[in-house]
Amino acid sequence: MNGSKPLSCEEAARRFFAHLDRALAGDDLQALEAHLEACLHCCDRLAFSRKLDRFVKERLGDSALPDGIEDRIRRLIVTL
Amino acid sequence: MSRPPQSADDEKDHERCRRFAEATLPHLGALYRLAVKLTGSGTTAEDLVQETYLKALEAFPSLRDPGRVKAWLFQILSRLVIDRHRSEAREVATGTDDLDRFSLYDLIWQEDPLPYSDRLHDDFLDQFRDEEIRAALMALPEAYRVPLVLVYVEGTTYKELAEILGCPIGTVMSRLHRGRKTLERQLWECARKRGLVKT
Repeated sequence: MNGSKPLSCEEAARRFFAHLDRALAGDDLQALEAHLEACLHCCDRLAFSRKLDRFVKERLGDSALPDGIEDRIRRLIVTL
Repeated sequence: MSRPPQSADDEKDHERCRRFAEATLPHLGALYRLAVKLTGSGTTAEDLVQETYLKALEAFPSLRDPGRVKAWLFQILSRLVIDRHRSEAREVATGTDDLDRFSLYDLIWQEDPLPYSDRLHDDFLDQFRDEEIRAALMALPEAYRVPLVLVYVEGTTYKELAEILGCPIGTVMSRLHRGRKTLERQLWECARKRGLVKT
């Protein structure tokens, strides 16, 4: 447990995305984890943010390479 | 087919192009897929990829770490997207406070658009079509869309994003936060237009 002031729900929510991106560390991470242990509402909101991230990522889909694009790029390279 | 080298200089250029093609073409597929996600159009994506290869060939002699070719190409392409739209300065009109307070989770909960659902938030999301999700993403300013797509597609770290975007890590964090919040708001707006929710 760290000695810093407990986070409000608003402060915790501002750290959600960095937490999902594994960019939170040290005191910031500890403070968020301490808040989540005590706040079920924020746990649910964080779980939803995680779900929404996964949902958007899956819906972006993938595109096949257009026919002949590699040849066009090769020609571009050699004609310079 | 390329013209055979005629002089020592030609020979040097020919060799540089060969090494460039060998190093970069294996990443063409990944680069194109990223370009489609960033631009929302196959034709624009192909133009963007060609422009990226031109820039990359020019800068190839300065590439220090050949192991980072893919990240380097992504960096060039991302910067082109951002620079292309820099003059438009598309920013979100709403102030930071409004956006910060916006919570799609809470709104779904409050409005309860699917009263008989026992998995309300999942069922709400399942109503969106793929093209609506892509349109919501495309509606984001490039400054938000580029880092968000790189995080989604490549799992790019904040440190790498700071390099790509040429800004401090704090700015990366703020853009990813605002980008996601704006996306949530776009989805709510889309649901409102389709009559899925009322407020």
